[in-house]
Amino acid sequence: MSAQLNPHARPRGAARVGIGGPVGSGKTALLEQLIPRFMARGTDIAVITNDLVTAEDAERVRRSGLIAPERVLAVETGACPHTAIREDPTLNLAAADELDRAYPGLELILIESGGDNLASSFSLDLVDYWLFVIDVAGGDDIPRKRGLGVLQCDLLVINKVDLAPHVRVNLDRMVSEAHEVRLGRPTLLTNCAHGDGVDAVVERIAQEVLFDR
Amino acid sequence: MLRLTDIVGHATDADIAERLHQMEHDGVVERIHLSRRDLSRRRQRVTTDRGTEVALMLDRSSGLDNGAVLLLEPARAVLVVLDEPQWLVLGATSAAGALEAGYFAGNMHWKVRFDGERLWVLLEGPRDDYLKRLSHLLARGHAQVIDAPPAPAAGVRYLAVPHAH
Repeated sequence: MSAQLNPHARPRGAARVGIGGPVGSGKTALLEQLIPRFMARGTDIAVITNDLVTAEDAERVRRSGLIAPERVLAVETGACPHTAIREDPTLNLAAADELDRAYPGLELILIESGGDNLASSFSLDLVDYWLFVIDVAGGDDIPRKRGLGVLQCDLLVINKVDLAPHVRVNLDRMVSEAHEVRLGRPTLLTNCAHGDGVDAVVERIAQEVLFDR
Repeated sequence: MLRLTDIVGHATDADIAERLHQMEHDGVVERIHLSRRDLSRRRQRVTTDRGTEVALMLDRSSGLDNGAVLLLEPARAVLVVLDEPQWLVLGATSAAGALEAGYFAGNMHWKVRFDGERLWVLLEGPRDDYLKRLSHLLARGHAQVIDAPPAPAAGVRYLAVPHAH
């Protein structure tokens, strides 16, 4: 059988998936919900976090006990976080390559970006697929503002949906406008505080870049 | 699902071109149409023009381009075809308008081509989205859309415009 037609053929190196979005939208919380789910399905996983001038998010994930601490690398981006995932992703590429070398069976690297505004996006030189996380508390007008992240991401995640009635957000309209500006590309709803909706995010990532099921 | 992990050649390689030509007659050449943006992805799920689902899993050092051949078997070939890029062509009505349009395109991270007094903007989404973004310039008459542009000349360069942050 040709190697190319081998149904078990595997790529060299892990799939790389970006998680971006504004400060406070729940990127790290989503990460903390994704890690145990991928581990439970047997996916060999590692994480890279991006912070401005600290390793705060990396330390939070390392301390969580969800994943071996050495599988979590931190990139400090300085004042311009989107640069490290878009214009010049050198540091993140180096970190991902380091993880690939350290863990030969690695299947998935989740790369969480430093917080930025609605205009951040990932270079496809760095990731194969990327999520953009917004939350209802940021206002239901976020989708119609047509930020680059909302428009271009492969999967839009609207988080903290449980808060919608408390912050007077019309969630149905927010989702409808997200579908409209994204021309029907996928949008999923989550409450990462409790893990609601996260299984669907895992399935989507697995379907698009893992191809293992 | 067909799992493809390598670029085995290019449609312009003489021997491959000859094989593909023969295989075309047999109806066993499948094409994957990709946008310029998706061409950058090393791993993605795609569907050929004959409906075959493909899990594309390329090495990090690999780079797709128009004509990359991903499978070349006696009974089937799969190659990549770059979708024709779509452009929005702008003209400015004054030097000030040109400066503002150029600044704005850079600030939006749009990929552009300079063509004399025209600015070609590569469309990576719906044309209407770009027109909405430009509405303030268009409404003031500082820029205008030049309709029905001719196809860009061969060898177009894609320039990432620097921006101020």
